[in-house]
Amino acid sequence: MMDLEPHVISNLVTGALLVGIALIARSVRRQRLWREAATQLWRRRRIAILVVGVYLAIGLLDSIAWKGGVPEDVVDVLPNAPLTLIDRAFLGSREASYSAPFADVEFYGGDPLRNPGSHPLGTDILGRDVLYLSLKGARVALLIGGLTSLIAIPLALFFGVGAGYFGGRFDDGVFFLISTLASMPGLLLLIALIMAMGRGTVSVCVALGVTSWVGFCRLSRAETLKLRELDYVAAARALGVTEIRIVLRHILPNLAHLIVITFVLMFSGLVLSEVVLSWLGIGVDGSWGQMIDSARNELSREPIIWWNIAAAGTALFGLVLAVNSVGDAIRDVLDPRTLKEAP
Amino acid sequence: MRARSEAEGAGGRVGLLSLVIVCFVMSAFPSGCSNNPYPPTREGEKVLYSSFVDAPRTLDPARAYNTRAHAITGAVYDTLLKYHFLKRPLELIPGLAVSLPEKTELPDGRVRYRFELRRDLLFADDACFGLDRPGQRTREVVAADIAFQLARIADAEVGSPVIEPFSNIDGFQEFSRALTARREADPGFAARPVHEQYAELGGIPGVRTPSSHVLDVILHRPYPQIRYWFAMEFSTPVPWEAVEYYDGRGGRPRFDDHPVGTGPYVLSEYSKRSRYVLERSKNWYGVRHPEWKAPAATYPSEGEEEDRLAGRLDYAGRTLPFIDRVEVRREKESIPRFNKFLQGYYDASGIIKESFDKVVQEDALSPEMKARGIALEKAVSPDVFYIGFNFDDPVVGRAGGERSRKLRQAMSRVIDVEEFTRVFNNGRGVPAQSPIPPGIYGYDPDYENPARRVDLERAKQLMVEAGYPGGIDPETGEALRLTFDSADTSSAGLTKVQFYVSAWKRLGIDVRVEATNYNQFLEKLRNGAHQVFESGWVADYPDPENFLFLLWSQMGKSKFGGPNATNFSNARFDELFVSMKTRENGPRRMAEIREMLRILEHERPWIELFHREEYSLYHGWVRNVKPMGISMPTYQYRDLDPVLRAQRRREWNEPIVWPAWVLLGAAVLVVLPGIRTYLKERQ
Repeated sequence: MMDLEPHVISNLVTGALLVGIALIARSVRRQRLWREAATQLWRRRRIAILVVGVYLAIGLLDSIAWKGGVPEDVVDVLPNAPLTLIDRAFLGSREASYSAPFADVEFYGGDPLRNPGSHPLGTDILGRDVLYLSLKGARVALLIGGLTSLIAIPLALFFGVGAGYFGGRFDDGVFFLISTLASMPGLLLLIALIMAMGRGTVSVCVALGVTSWVGFCRLSRAETLKLRELDYVAAARALGVTEIRIVLRHILPNLAHLIVITFVLMFSGLVLSEVVLSWLGIGVDGSWGQMIDSARNELSREPIIWWNIAAAGTALFGLVLAVNSVGDAIRDVLDPRTLKEAP
Repeated sequence: MRARSEAEGAGGRVGLLSLVIVCFVMSAFPSGCSNNPYPPTREGEKVLYSSFVDAPRTLDPARAYNTRAHAITGAVYDTLLKYHFLKRPLELIPGLAVSLPEKTELPDGRVRYRFELRRDLLFADDACFGLDRPGQRTREVVAADIAFQLARIADAEVGSPVIEPFSNIDGFQEFSRALTARREADPGFAARPVHEQYAELGGIPGVRTPSSHVLDVILHRPYPQIRYWFAMEFSTPVPWEAVEYYDGRGGRPRFDDHPVGTGPYVLSEYSKRSRYVLERSKNWYGVRHPEWKAPAATYPSEGEEEDRLAGRLDYAGRTLPFIDRVEVRREKESIPRFNKFLQGYYDASGIIKESFDKVVQEDALSPEMKARGIALEKAVSPDVFYIGFNFDDPVVGRAGGERSRKLRQAMSRVIDVEEFTRVFNNGRGVPAQSPIPPGIYGYDPDYENPARRVDLERAKQLMVEAGYPGGIDPETGEALRLTFDSADTSSAGLTKVQFYVSAWKRLGIDVRVEATNYNQFLEKLRNGAHQVFESGWVADYPDPENFLFLLWSQMGKSKFGGPNATNFSNARFDELFVSMKTRENGPRRMAEIREMLRILEHERPWIELFHREEYSLYHGWVRNVKPMGISMPTYQYRDLDPVLRAQRRREWNEPIVWPAWVLLGAAVLVVLPGIRTYLKERQ
C-alpha cells in the first residue's frame, strides 16, 4: 500500500469533504422537505450561515497544502515542508517579539519591525502574527468539533437506536453503561483518557467523543422507542422485512433531524471544551484555547498585552455564536414540535 | 384618618430602620476600614514579613533539599561552618566550630578533618528533651549529635538525597549496608530507637568523637569539597531525643514538621496552609555569649566597596540577630503578593515579570519606586540552565561520531540566549558560556565560548559537514526530525520551547516537542528515551566540581542514575575531572578546568543557556540585604525600622472612602422605596 504523506491525506480529505458538501447540497435540492428547510434556514439566519461559511472556507484553505514554492530568503520554514494557503499568505511575517496592532516598532524596546504596519492584530511573544494564529485556529476548532461529532454521534446512535429498538438485555446493558459513564466526573475522565492516550488532536477528539455521546444516546433511544411502535414499522415487520433493514430504512431516516440538530449544537460545546482542556495544559497545539491560555498572564503585564486574547476570544466567540444560532434555527425548522412558519 | 396614621406609622418605621442601617454601616467605616492583614499591636516590633508559595514537604535536615525548606531549616539549624555574609566569592567561616577544620593527610591516602565544637552550645527549648530527664527543656550540643546526624544520612530508611558526597567518608557505605542488613535479619534490633541501633553498630567508622567537643571526619580519599557540606544543614547537630519523640503518634507532630536545632531562630508556629513564624532563640550562642564575638554571630566588619557604599558595613561588630520575629504567610498568586509588597505589607520581594517595566527602567529602579524608598538589589545566581543532548541516542549521541558532533555544534550556534532572556525574562540573565556560573572558581568573565557565538552561516556550513545539507536527512529526503522533551506542559512553557524550535527551523531541522509531566519526564531521562531536553542546576556549594560533575561519566543517568542526563562520557574529561575534584584552588586546577571547558566547546553535550539574574526589591526600612546566591536564609543579619514602616503603611494605604459613600447613598435610594412599599403592602 502506498505510504501517503499527511498533507496528501489532508488534501484528499478536503477534496472528499468538498465533494460531500456538493452531494449533500444536490440531495437537499432534490428533496422537498430538506429544500424547504434549507430555504427557511437561509431566510432566518443569513448572517450566521455566512459567518459559519467564512470559518469553513478558512479551514479549507488551511487544509490544502503542497511543497515547494518558498522564496529563498524565508528562513523560518522547514525544507520540503508542505505549506497551506494560509501559511503561504503569511510567509516572512514573523517579528522578534510583541508588537501592537498596526505598529511600526516592537512593543518593548521600540526596535523597528521587519514588516512595519502589516500586523492588523499585532504579534505574540515569539513575534508570530496574531491574525495568522487566529486563522490557523479555525481549522483546529473545526477539526475538533467535526471529528469529535463523527466519533460521538455514531456511537450514540449505535447504542441508542439498538437499545431503543431491540430492548431486552441490550437495552439493560446500554443503560448500565450510560449510568456508569454519567456518574463519572466528565472532566476527570477526559483528563485520564488524554493522559492515557497522550497529547494530540486525535487523542483529544477521541477523549471528547467518548465522554460526550451519552446525552444523544438517551435521546435517540427514547425516539426509537416511540418510532418502533408506529404503524409503518409494524407494517414493515409484518411484511417480513429484516430488523436491520427496518432500522436502516425506517428508523434512522426519521432520526435525521435529531442528528443534524445534535451535530450542530454539540459542535460548539466541543470547541469550548477544548478551551478548558488547554487551560489544564492538555489542549491541542495551535488552538484558540491554547492562545487564550498563553495570553492570560499577559493581561497582568504593564502595559497590558490585550490583542492575543482579544483575537482568540473573538474568533472563538464568533464561531460558537454563529454555530449556536444556526443550530437553533435548524431545530426550529426541523423539529416538528418547534416548527413554525417563517416570518 | 386611621389609614393616614398607619401610613405615618409605616413611614416612621422606615425612617427608624434606615437610621439603624446607616448608623451600622457608618460605624464600620472609620474604625475597621483597613487593608492591614497584621494586628496593630505588632506595629512597633521588629517583625520581618515575608511570604511563601507552597510549604516544604519536609523540614528534616537530612532530607530537606530545596529553597522552600531551607528558608526554615537554615534559620532553625546551625552548622559547623558558615559563609561570610558580605565577601564574594563566598568564603567559609567558623559557625558552631571554633575554627575552620584542621586537615591532616593520613599515611594510607586518607584525609582527616578535625572540627572543634564550641562549648556551652544549647539546643532550642523543646519538650523532647524531657525524654532524657523529666522536665528538662534543653541540653548541651556535643560532637555525638553531629555523628548521629551523619549516621542518619547513611541510613537508607531516612532517604537522604546527599548520600553520594558523604560516601567519601571512610566506612560510610559499609555502615549503611550493615544497618540495612541487621534490620532485615533482626526485627528486635529494627524496633529499637535509631540512636541505639547506630550506637550498637559502632557508628560510621570514619566519623569519630575523640572527646565530647571534637569531631573527626576521615575521608577514604581526598575530597576538599566536604567542607562545604559542613556549611549545609545536612550536617547540623540533631538531638536523638527529637527524632525519637516526634514520631507522629499521641498527637505529637512528625520530626519532618517539627525541627529542633541550634540556630538563631525557632519555629514557633507552623501551618503548612497559612503561615509559619520564626522567633529569636534565646538559647542561640550569639544571644547567650555575645562576648565570644563568634564570626557567625557577629555582623562582619569586612566586605566589598559596594557594601560600604550601600551602608552594609554600618553594623560592623554588632551581635546578631537584629530581628525578633519572622512571619511568613502563604501567598499562592504572584500578583497579590507583589501588590502587598507595594502596600508595605511584605518587606522584600522579587519582581514579577508582569510588572517589570513598571519597576525597572533602563536597568535601574523607576522614579515611582525610588520615590517610595524602595531599593533594588541584583545578583547573578550560581546556577546554569542548558539544553542537553542524550549521548545514548543514535542521531545526536556518541554513536553518530563526527556527524552528530557537527550537528550538535550547528544547533548550538543558532540559539540566541540574549534574545531569549530579552523576550522571556525581561533581559534578566547572564548568557552562559560554560557550565560554571559567576562567583564560582573557574568562571572567567572574559571567556567567550566560540560554539555559543550565534552564527547562522557557520551553523548551516556545519549542517552540510554533518551530512544534513539544508537540514535534509538523506535517509528520508525530508527535514531531519528530532524530539525535544519538556517537563512543562503549560502554554507559557511550550512557548518558550518554541523559541528553540524556531531557531533550529532556520537550519531546516524539524524538532517536535513532547511535553509530559515532570515525573514522566524523569522516567524518560532514566530510561534514556530522550533526545534533546532542557534542564538546569543550582549550586549546592561554591565549587566548580559541583557543576562539572554533571558531565562526569560516573554520574551518567542511564548507567548510574546520576544527574548527568546527557550520559556524556569522555575519557580525557573524566580524567581531568577526577584530578580537579580533589585539588585545591590554584593554577593547576585552573588549567584543568580550562581544558575541560575546551572539550565541552568541541563535544557540545550541552548548549549552555544562561545563569539567572535575581532582582530583589526591599523597602527603605529594611537594612542589610545582600543576596547569597546559594539557598541560605540571612534573617539574622537583617534589621528594620518598624516605626518608619508603620508610618509608610499608613500613608500608602489611606482608605479611599468616597466610592463607598456613593454606593451607600445609591443603596439607600434603591432600598428605602422598596422597604416602604413592602411595609405598605403588608398593611
